[in-house]
Amino acid sequence: MMLHGGQFHVYYSRSKTTHIIATNLPNSKINELRGEKVVRPEWITDSIKAGRQLSYLQYQLYAKQKGLSFPSLCLRKLDQQDLAGANIHTFPHHSSSSSSKGGLPLPQKPSLSAPKPSHAGPGAGLPLLEPPAEQSQVSSRQVSSDAPHRDQEQGLKVNGSLRNPKGGGIKLNGLHGEGQWEEHSLTSGRAKDSTLTNGHVHRFNGALKLTDMGHHPGGLTQDVQPEPRASVGPEVDPYDGPRTPSPIPSHQPRTSPVTRHKRDSDSPSTQHQVPSLASPTNHDVSTFSDPTPARPHPSDPGSRVRLNGSHHSGDPTHNHTHQDLSDQSVKPVARGGAEGGIISEFYSYSRLHHISTWRSEFAEYVTSLQCRKRTAGGAVFSGKEKLKRLRAQRSSGVSSMPAPQVRQSCILHVDMDCFFVSVGIRHRPDLKGKPVAVTSNRGPGRVAQRPGTNPQLEFQYYQQKRNRHQTGEPRPDKTDGDLEMTPSPEDISEHCHGNGVAQDQASLSMAEIASCSYEARQAGVKNGMCFGQAKKLCPELKAVPYDFQAYKEVALAMFETLASYTHHIEALSCDEALVDATALLAEVGVTPDELASAIRADVMEKTGCSASVGMGSNILLARMATRRAKPNGQYLLRSEEVDDFIRDQSVTSLPGVGRSMGSKLASLGVSSCGDLQQVSMARLQREFGPRTGQTLFRFCRGLDDRPVRSEKERKSVSAEMNYNIRFTKVEEAESFLNNLSMEVQKRLQGAGLKGRRVTLKVMMRKPGAPVEPAKYGGHGICDNLARSVTLGQATDSGKLIAQEAIKLFHAMRLDVTDMRGVGLQVQLLDGGPQAPAQDAQRSIRDLLQAPRRPSSNTTTSCTAAPNSTSSSTLSTSTALSDADAIPSGSSSGASFNQATSSSLMEPPTSLSDPIPSTSKGEPPPRTPNHAHSRLNLSIEVPSPSQVDRSVLEALPPELREQVERTWSRREEEEEEQPGASCSVTPPPLRDLDFSSSPPPDAHPPPGTLLLQIPNQPGQTGSTGIILALPDFSQVDPDVFAALPKELQEELRSAYSRREGAQPQVEEKNPLLQLKQPAAGRTKRRYKRKNASPAKKGPSPLKRLHPGTSPAKSSPSKPPPPAFRLKDDPSGLKTENGPSSSSMKPDVPEVLSKFIPRPVPTLAGACELSDIRTLLREWVTTISEPMEEDILQVVKYCTELVEDKDLEKLDIIIKYMKRIMQQSVESVWSMAFDFIVDNVQVVVQQMYGSTLKIT
Amino acid sequence: MTTLTRQDLNFGQVVADILCEFLEVAIHLILYVREVYPSGIFQKKKKYNVPVQMSCHPELNQYIQDTLHCVKPLIEKNEAEKVVIVIMDKERHPVERFVFEISQPPLLSISSETLLSHVEQLLRAVILKISVCDAVLDNNPPGCTFTVLVHTREAATRNMEKIQVIKDFPWMVADEQEVHMQGSRLIPLKTMTSDLVKMQLYVEERAQKTS
Repeated sequence: MMLHGGQFHVYYSRSKTTHIIATNLPNSKINELRGEKVVRPEWITDSIKAGRQLSYLQYQLYAKQKGLSFPSLCLRKLDQQDLAGANIHTFPHHSSSSSSKGGLPLPQKPSLSAPKPSHAGPGAGLPLLEPPAEQSQVSSRQVSSDAPHRDQEQGLKVNGSLRNPKGGGIKLNGLHGEGQWEEHSLTSGRAKDSTLTNGHVHRFNGALKLTDMGHHPGGLTQDVQPEPRASVGPEVDPYDGPRTPSPIPSHQPRTSPVTRHKRDSDSPSTQHQVPSLASPTNHDVSTFSDPTPARPHPSDPGSRVRLNGSHHSGDPTHNHTHQDLSDQSVKPVARGGAEGGIISEFYSYSRLHHISTWRSEFAEYVTSLQCRKRTAGGAVFSGKEKLKRLRAQRSSGVSSMPAPQVRQSCILHVDMDCFFVSVGIRHRPDLKGKPVAVTSNRGPGRVAQRPGTNPQLEFQYYQQKRNRHQTGEPRPDKTDGDLEMTPSPEDISEHCHGNGVAQDQASLSMAEIASCSYEARQAGVKNGMCFGQAKKLCPELKAVPYDFQAYKEVALAMFETLASYTHHIEALSCDEALVDATALLAEVGVTPDELASAIRADVMEKTGCSASVGMGSNILLARMATRRAKPNGQYLLRSEEVDDFIRDQSVTSLPGVGRSMGSKLASLGVSSCGDLQQVSMARLQREFGPRTGQTLFRFCRGLDDRPVRSEKERKSVSAEMNYNIRFTKVEEAESFLNNLSMEVQKRLQGAGLKGRRVTLKVMMRKPGAPVEPAKYGGHGICDNLARSVTLGQATDSGKLIAQEAIKLFHAMRLDVTDMRGVGLQVQLLDGGPQAPAQDAQRSIRDLLQAPRRPSSNTTTSCTAAPNSTSSSTLSTSTALSDADAIPSGSSSGASFNQATSSSLMEPPTSLSDPIPSTSKGEPPPRTPNHAHSRLNLSIEVPSPSQVDRSVLEALPPELREQVERTWSRREEEEEEQPGASCSVTPPPLRDLDFSSSPPPDAHPPPGTLLLQIPNQPGQTGSTGIILALPDFSQVDPDVFAALPKELQEELRSAYSRREGAQPQVEEKNPLLQLKQPAAGRTKRRYKRKNASPAKKGPSPLKRLHPGTSPAKSSPSKPPPPAFRLKDDPSGLKTENGPSSSSMKPDVPEVLSKFIPRPVPTLAGACELSDIRTLLREWVTTISEPMEEDILQVVKYCTELVEDKDLEKLDIIIKYMKRIMQQSVESVWSMAFDFIVDNVQVVVQQMYGSTLKIT
Repeated sequence: MTTLTRQDLNFGQVVADILCEFLEVAIHLILYVREVYPSGIFQKKKKYNVPVQMSCHPELNQYIQDTLHCVKPLIEKNEAEKVVIVIMDKERHPVERFVFEISQPPLLSISSETLLSHVEQLLRAVILKISVCDAVLDNNPPGCTFTVLVHTREAATRNMEKIQVIKDFPWMVADEQEVHMQGSRLIPLKTMTSDLVKMQLYVEERAQKTS
């Protein structure tokens, strides 16, 4: 490049640098470099090839490409005039070389760098002396003067750098690194380098240095660009630089190590090294240290590489072999998950992974568009301009008629036709019109059967499974989905089987077809079908390899095209998007059809691929219209046609209706949307749950109020691998989990998120299933298990996640050899940046949510789940341990829990300290582990019956002792004071307030008021109890006196502490309130679960409010009004306004009657019959109502009061009275009392009298 | 199909006309059902297609008419929140309060031809509820009287003083004891929601009526 007049800047200079070359930029960089020309490295290579400087436009790097794990290459060209013939000394560089952390000294280091002093000169040996971070820089910069040797040399260097973790994970800033490097060179005795000793100087006069360097033919540190690690096959190709040693001995002193390193360390691609560092069995170090780091895969001698279904053992000696496109299908076998890079390898080659990351990337791209628009203050919409021109022309041509009155909203669903195929053949006109399939297999479609497989059995299994799902039912219409986003093996096998050729299945290639052209589809080929099978159906089927780079380019071009019209885009996947064109159409004044054809023409022009556009007044209709538009067409579903249109649609074409729901619907006699329209909402909700039912109810009528969301929030971040998982030892599984956690960490950090819940999903070979599945490395027939744990604080630390995951893993006690898939998911995400501000608040939220049991979709019904058989002792103990689970430091109720859990806990360091809380009711082994992770601040100790003995034994002695001590103490307490826990079990005061006095206009969306009807009966057994601290005035003095002294004291101190904390709580409460409805999905346990102690005395509710409670006439009323009002400013208005005093005619009403309020709903239901259905189901299906549900009902009733619908309220209360008091469970009548008490308070305040309940 | 909104001049009048007509029927019926007056002064008539009892005592009728005449302007302007028929015992302590709570529906419009018949159905339901309300109410002590209260919104009372609809028939601020009932219980009778008006009727009943 230098030869051709390019210049390489070590440091970015706004004035001099013309282009920035990178393949991977962190967010901050993207922001920083906005407005600069950021291009991909291909631009250079292509320009050189072309012999002239190409327009950079096509090479622009737009969105973050973290999925591609390229280390960035920061190359600045001062002079791009003369590029021709330039040689770029790109150097393959292990992507993670600079981003490793942990500062582990690696024994391999010396051996790597030392043996080559001849080439590298002193530099090679130096890394030993230097801090590891510098080492990597140096070595990557080192270029021997001897060109022929350079490759080898560099290879070595890189190897060395690979293994060099950065000391302590410190991020080097450029200056620092530079300086270090100079020093290092100095020590190495390079006269020339010594001139550069001062990194600062160096930094500012690049030109000088250039000449300087020129004097030394020997010691050239030229532009060893950290070559993108070839994570994706096709992208590797342009970077073969290192393998073609540069004939130019000239030195480009401007190695960019510093910036580059900065980038690298910023870049999320820590995958390769980090896992290996973290893994205890680091035997693969040698892999990395052998001179093949430049290869797209660290060809581990132990790993087997699979190429198109056949095996290639990785060749560690070949550096330069893996260049062809088929690389992408090369998947190393994770035999022994200990191999460090295996996970990232997997993700590098998994097309699903790419596609799915693209989706989020494009979503981010759209988001960034939004940001850019905001910052730029208004974007240029070239497409829009074009439309305007078009419109102008048309109106000048004819008569200028007013803009069509399209006030209705208009959503466009843009979907590329056969995306993978059309991209694959866009430069191959010879394939147009022929049946083409995109697949990794290009052979005849046959492979030998491997031993240990039993495809027939698997097919039988899937067949049976399918039969259970009613074989004949129509599969979801896939015609418009060019790629199956999740072609599970089931699908694949089903396809194969469905085509009736099962007998010689085994010999056919199992490589599935990602996408096939319409011609192929006519022949019966389907997406997701196995290639061998397809080949039989359609012998002339042509296979086209994957070309991820091209997909990405085309997809990007498509999104850019769309973005040139409007920024109201939602990326659905890499090849489809939703466009909210309402505003655009109104502004420009064209018809939707015109817009659609303009977009399609544009996309065709820019990408060479055709797109179909469906238009409708909402997302649902637009998507359905696309179905009709395909292929290469457009269809506008007019609102007047909707009814007819949708009636004929199959239910399975509705989004969200898949196979299982489809078959369930079919069993109801519903196959088309028209049939579905006949089904009542109540029925649907009964069958599918309140939310899904409602969605179905709306969808089948063509109603859909989802907005087009340009900015999306992620709900979870996960990494999952179910390919080639074959562990032999537990350690392997553990280290695999470690690695997987690092992958998750990478993704979390990439997205800037932190999560609080970790879910471990494991696929286990189904007993009786063949050991080796038919698909090579596949998972075969599996049971899916999942476990989750909620952390006290949101984290993005892979280590923490790994810790938890391993604990979960051990808790599941699985046979590692049968593991076929492992996934880690992190949920309950919080945005990273605001974290500090939220911390305190979150700890309170934690408190509220603490006992909510993460609803683990465990299919093994809780091998370790606490088995609480409602014996009073046990429930008391759970109560206590629940108390323990609440953060000791969080301000309000927590202190109380401290009290109950006695002296096990250390006093909180400070009240404001957010000490992590953990949810209770988790598989036992967590506890000890938590004790670990929380540095003995742990306050959660489950009851002995819930703890896995073996885990306990594995604990350090001190910890074990502590745990045991707690138990014995607990037992004492229980014996002394059986009522102890009940006597201090008040209703959660704030909770009550949330529900009984909702802000009048902040009704949560209907879906969130889920009336939780737990279908998992196992869960009800292990309810937790939250113990909030009641108002001191509400504590029955008698009960208090009966408590043991110790407890009394602690209670007292808790109260005094709480007084201090009180104001804080009140401040935060409004926030909490708003949050509360949204948090409704998690389950909170109903307090009165503690039924056994309650029976002994008066109801806990009643006892709460003895006469001491001020300002309350009724003894059974919840919190004192003062507290309420403070707590709930918005509730104040509604509740206090029409209080009894305002009954006088001349007292002004506070309540404004003019604001139309939404009709109150309970779990989305507002019709009396629906509500009755819901309530009946609630009462009859579960034995113990959950607090949250009760609160929802109270809330609904309150809304009814506020909505002045007393009649309905009366009916509902009467109904509840009937069904609840009939119930055998006494808790139900208590629940009823509770509801009525609360409602009466509200009615009293609104109307000055209470309801007469007969 | 015309769509009238709240701004339209006659909208409030329409509502007020309908409501006042209804209230007249309702008051008569309440007086009958609650046996405030001997049943002899009532005559069976048909209103809203259901039988109702109307008093034929001229002075009583006049009083009711005049009262409603004064209520009408308030309803017209949406200033009346509640119209309360209070039944009082001999000591003029209320034993029952029939509360007609009137509010505007979320969507105010007169758009449909079927509106009026729909409203009529709803009103009929309320009337029927009243006629059977003695089932859920305790018997009143003998010698009861009644009065009509209006709860107004905001500062409507101020204007009321200025404009007397009927000469020498002014509104008075109610006694506290007429308004308040000790230990009352609330019995919702009916809620109706139409595009025109939203109204609910409930009864507040004193816990111990014979004291």
